[in-house]
Amino acid sequence: MKNVKSLSGIAVRIPLLLWSFMVIFPLIWMFIGALKTNAEIFTSPWSLPATLNFKNFVVAWTDYNIGRAFLNSLFVTFLGTVLTLAFSIPTAYALERLRFKGNEILLNTYLASMMIPSVLGWIPLFFLLLKFNLLDNLWALSLVYAVSHIPFTIFILISFMGNVPKELEEAAAIDGMSPFGILFKIVTPLIVSGIVTSSILNAIAFWNEYFMALILLQADSKNTLGIAMDLLKTSAQYESAWGVLFAGLSIAVIPVIIFYSIFQRHIVKGMTEGAIK
Amino acid sequence: MVQSKKQKYLFLAFCLLPTFLVFCIFTVYPMLGGIYYSFFDWSGTSSVKEFIGLDNYQRIFHDAVIPKAILNDYFFVFIKLIGIMLLALFFAVALTQLKIKEAPFYRIVFFFPNIMSVVVIGILWQFIYDPNIGVVNGVLRSIGLEEWARPWLGDMTWALPSVAIPAIWAGIGLFMLLLMGGITNIPKSLYEAAHIDGASEWQQFWKITVPLIWPQIKTSIIYIVITSLNGSFVLVQVMTSGGPGMATEVMGSYLYQKAFEDFQFGYGAAIGVLILVISLVTVVVLQFILKKEKVEY
Repeated sequence: MKNVKSLSGIAVRIPLLLWSFMVIFPLIWMFIGALKTNAEIFTSPWSLPATLNFKNFVVAWTDYNIGRAFLNSLFVTFLGTVLTLAFSIPTAYALERLRFKGNEILLNTYLASMMIPSVLGWIPLFFLLLKFNLLDNLWALSLVYAVSHIPFTIFILISFMGNVPKELEEAAAIDGMSPFGILFKIVTPLIVSGIVTSSILNAIAFWNEYFMALILLQADSKNTLGIAMDLLKTSAQYESAWGVLFAGLSIAVIPVIIFYSIFQRHIVKGMTEGAIK
Repeated sequence: MVQSKKQKYLFLAFCLLPTFLVFCIFTVYPMLGGIYYSFFDWSGTSSVKEFIGLDNYQRIFHDAVIPKAILNDYFFVFIKLIGIMLLALFFAVALTQLKIKEAPFYRIVFFFPNIMSVVVIGILWQFIYDPNIGVVNGVLRSIGLEEWARPWLGDMTWALPSVAIPAIWAGIGLFMLLLMGGITNIPKSLYEAAHIDGASEWQQFWKITVPLIWPQIKTSIIYIVITSLNGSFVLVQVMTSGGPGMATEVMGSYLYQKAFEDFQFGYGAAIGVLILVISLVTVVVLQFILKKEKVEY
């Protein structure tokens, strides 16, 4: 009996280990490639580097504009995440707790908009920003990002707000607290875990976003990481600068992996407890 | 509650209006604008914007690329549905019910692709498929299957499945977590009772696990279909730009090329409307197929 158990334990682990390998291998290959010279990558693509060579990172960061793009991405990620919260928290509260005409309709409008392919709106969006001279503007891009994630964030926050006891709000109102006070001093602190969960997912999405940035940004100095990677890939193809390309990719990936490792508990928690049921 | 009507409305307006305003400007207006532009012949400069009625839609019906692109879109939908659901379900069950000590390790690792940019995923997989230094061909050569080695992304037949694999690779983690959430909420007593009644693990899976996580399965299926129809073009655009020929062209990448590379914004908008219609119809049909009474024990 015990043998059968351990045998099935091994059988289950084979696909798990195989998939882990499939996920980790490209990443390891990327990190190792970033530390190799071009000659090494070509002659022995899978070997370890003879000496650790950090020059690729320096070249990618300075000569290929990755440094600039890194800071730009940091900017839109931060501003986009903050704006999403600023727009979503009050609306989520009103939709969950306040009674008003059209409550249901408004909620459903937000939820339904998540089904609409965003690509449909990109052409008018491009001309809208062009008209107001907001193309190539990182503030505008952050705002566009934020608005695109409002419905999703409202959706998550509402489910967390539903767990806040109504009595707390009633007691505060009787003590003479204004509705603004109730929202920001009572309710908001109680849904921190929902705020953290949604913000992590939003921040990762904004950091990685590529297509809207491609359409709405044009100058090299404004590029975010996605576009800079794409440009780096193109020039790496002409110059066979693969080591530099791998270094550039690593610069884009390492911060998210660190960020995720720190906060992964919240993602799992938000996924399993609150949000999507 | 002592609260004047005025104060109540003021607060309501504060909560709802700014958000709704930016939502209208950056989500509703562009969507309606997309439909509006689809009736024009427009190269982007305002002087030559001509109303042409349904001509763009007529052109869609005669455009040979469109049926091919729609077919490719659905190829992605089906292969992603099967690949992601099977693997995610298997991993979710394995990590929650089979008492694997190192389960958190797998849970964390399997989510890695979900936090990576599509651009990075696309570039990495281009290297994996690279004819010369790529891993796939390297492995094939080293096990003596030299003749199977090929430029995967440049091959008319193999390019499409080759792009679909990274799409599955990148999707598993999220849905695994979603399904794990459902499974952890199933009361242990149900399995104990089934075990006492002599139900095999396979029976338990079909009779207890699947019906009770049906809402999560349904959410996952709909989510995969929508995101695939609305978003798989990003990976296509990064990896192949629709090539070789039109082998991997999907609706979204075709829209991008028509609008932002050929400057046919009216036609691009019409393609966008078609994407909208296709994804809405698909979701409605899907809802109908997946209709199944919610089970509660």
